[in-house]
Amino acid sequence: MDPALTQALKTGVAPMQEYLLQGSILDGSKDILLHRLRGLCDNADTAPETFSDHEMRVLNNRCSQSMCKHLRYVGQTEMGIGDKSRHTLVRTCLDIGVSDTVVKFLNEMGFRADFEFVARGIFFHKGRMKVTVSKLFKLSQPGDPQAGLEPVSGSHLVELSVVAPTGQEQVGEDMKNFAEQLKPLVCLEKIDHKPFAAAKQGT
Amino acid sequence: MAQSGVTVSIEAVHENQIQEVSLDGHETVIPPLSMSECLAKSAQKIDFGEEDEGIEGKQTSEEGTTEKEESAFQPSLWPWDSVRNKLKTSLTEIGVLLDVLNIAKEKKYMAIVQVQQDTSEPKSALQLLAKKKAISLQSICGGLNTAASVLISGAERLKRSQEEKGGVSSHDKFHIELLKLRQNWRLKKVGNSIIGDLSYRSAGSRFWQGGTFEVTKTTSLPSDQEGSTAQQYPLQVVIPSELEGSSYLQLEIKSVPDSMDLMSVTLQVPDGFGRTPLNAHWQSRLDTAQNVLFCKELFAQLAREAVQLKSNVPHVVVSNQIITNIFPGVQLSIVLCHSTGKGDKKTGPHSGKMDHKHVLEHSLHQLLREVHHRTLHLAAPHPVTAPFGMSKRRRLAGPTAMSRSDLKEMSDRSGETLLEQIIKQARHEVLRQRTMSVIDRLAGEIPDPQIMAHWSCLNSPLQSNVKIIITSNGYEGMRVTWQSLDLEIGVDGILVTTKDRRTLKLSFQEKEVEDIIRWQVSQHHIALSQNLARLIGWQVLSYNGCSGVGEMEGFACASSIQLVAPNNDRMLSVRSGPTSGLHVFLKIDSSGNLDPSLSSLVDPKWLNLGGTFRELDLEQIEGRNLATKLELIMAMVNKKR
Repeated sequence: MDPALTQALKTGVAPMQEYLLQGSILDGSKDILLHRLRGLCDNADTAPETFSDHEMRVLNNRCSQSMCKHLRYVGQTEMGIGDKSRHTLVRTCLDIGVSDTVVKFLNEMGFRADFEFVARGIFFHKGRMKVTVSKLFKLSQPGDPQAGLEPVSGSHLVELSVVAPTGQEQVGEDMKNFAEQLKPLVCLEKIDHKPFAAAKQGT
Repeated sequence: MAQSGVTVSIEAVHENQIQEVSLDGHETVIPPLSMSECLAKSAQKIDFGEEDEGIEGKQTSEEGTTEKEESAFQPSLWPWDSVRNKLKTSLTEIGVLLDVLNIAKEKKYMAIVQVQQDTSEPKSALQLLAKKKAISLQSICGGLNTAASVLISGAERLKRSQEEKGGVSSHDKFHIELLKLRQNWRLKKVGNSIIGDLSYRSAGSRFWQGGTFEVTKTTSLPSDQEGSTAQQYPLQVVIPSELEGSSYLQLEIKSVPDSMDLMSVTLQVPDGFGRTPLNAHWQSRLDTAQNVLFCKELFAQLAREAVQLKSNVPHVVVSNQIITNIFPGVQLSIVLCHSTGKGDKKTGPHSGKMDHKHVLEHSLHQLLREVHHRTLHLAAPHPVTAPFGMSKRRRLAGPTAMSRSDLKEMSDRSGETLLEQIIKQARHEVLRQRTMSVIDRLAGEIPDPQIMAHWSCLNSPLQSNVKIIITSNGYEGMRVTWQSLDLEIGVDGILVTTKDRRTLKLSFQEKEVEDIIRWQVSQHHIALSQNLARLIGWQVLSYNGCSGVGEMEGFACASSIQLVAPNNDRMLSVRSGPTSGLHVFLKIDSSGNLDPSLSSLVDPKWLNLGGTFRELDLEQIEGRNLATKLELIMAMVNKKR
């Protein structure tokens, strides 16, 4: 039997993978992109949802605090960036809803806080694809999202992601086709995260 | 003596003749003829001049008289002589031919005339054509005719387009209509044709059947039928055959005898109702086609649920009908009526006889639209990185540690099927109708206290409220005498709240509502008497809300009251029960019968203990209702003597 399947049966956790494409767009052109996305995605007649999330990255984990806390455990990117057969970045991920005590719990386990930021933006969806256009803010006082926020850069981050069970290749194709629709405004592509991690360790 | 047989030895002849044998025994063999020598020998034998003569003769003569021939002819120096002669003659002949050709080239003395066979080919094609024309004249004529007609019709079209008034050519008209079509429907250009989508896919439907229609230009000439001049549109839509005609969903609630088996239901035959004519406007045609698709999806969903649902009551699905019992003796049937419009129209108002529940049909449509809506509008995850597609409650189920039963309850509540919902609504409808009819009937039957029903404006498909107030005409000012009742009509039963805040649960039986109202009427009589007495000045001796004496009622209980006049010599007793009715008794004591000697010893009030109650005939007493009658009685009885 497939080793991933046996593992899943043993632990009782479904193996999910996240397919990710990222790009950025300057603040000035954000409105055109929003208009485009509104037409392409589901629910064109209702206004899209806005969100404001405070994310804390704890070593290799992502822990977002908002109305209900959510923990996301993300693994290494599969097969590296050079793999031409995959159009998107693929990495295994585990999504867990958690209670408020998660930060303390993680600290007890030995994880140390890496960095945190606030993301504010708009959320679209088309079928099971999630598109977010968000602006990242730095916290002037660490740990307190209510205190002043300063934007990190003059552009918005655009992300297209799908969380699907392992082994579905069609997802990559669908995402690539969708990304083609946004081509002249924003180029969504798979971005290698290794240089960033290496640069951070160097500093 | 006989000698032994001569030994005969047979030896093969030497192939090669021996020329000589030398002294040392070496044989010199005549070498066999080489190939060229052999050929020469054979060529010698062939007579080139006499080829046609019998070759057999030659062969025989060859074998036998080879030498003779050689002696007949001149002995040739070399065997190729005759061959040489023959070739010489042929050379001579070719020379002659060459000379002839050279002379012919000059064209002075000789000329070459063409032989007929060679020049027949260029002429044959024409001949063939002529032959074909001759043989298949009709087919060519036909071909030319069709070509001519095509050209003529094209010319007509061009002429028509040129002659049109308004300056807008039909080509432009087509595009204007196409623009209007695009404003309402999704269109796509596939190859040479324009395809549109009339299904609910973009609105969240997941039905397997898709509806694609094709948009074409009207090419046919306007016909001469009456009334068709105004309906010639430049645009035409081609609708798939399975969506043609019109359809609707028919919902019916009927009472059937209790012992009726679900299997013996009568099948509905949809009656032929109006079809949209082919040259109707494209919007109406597309609308009806979309409606057909919607009704199909709705019925398919209901049928699927009816088959898969595990419930106490079995649902029966028969071709285009779903039948189920919602109450014992009450049946709900949902029928998909689809008429393609091709059959003959049935005359007569068939639909008038059937009792459609239009509200419930509309409700079904709304429920399906809600299902569509839920498919598309999934709750956005907060935070955004969380997996989306789960409701907020589900997402919190983990952190708040919901138990298995909680999760199950949550999934049951959110995933109610279409059929369950419509059955609930139908049940509520039945209960409400029944309650209404009972109240109205009783209000007509019981003249004495007035029964008023106030239905609440705010109600849902699953719950309605009604407040019943029982008063006496003319005495409404006395709020205390009012009897009020609150009925909360739900899905399975009715919850009754009385004036003193007692709650009772009723089932779906009509009789229970009637009983309750009658009981309240009887209570009202007694309450009225009590308050009247207080107003007039009579004293209440006893009030019994539920009297345990006297004949037993069919249901509930009777109540009674005893009143005494201010001067203590008259007593009135009123007893009212839901089944026994209203009775008023009067006691006039006969203090005159007593011994006058006792009156000084005994207090006059004790003289009232004797006497018998006699019933009053309320019919004879003037008065519209009990209140006026009682008032009259009390006034008369209390007259100053």
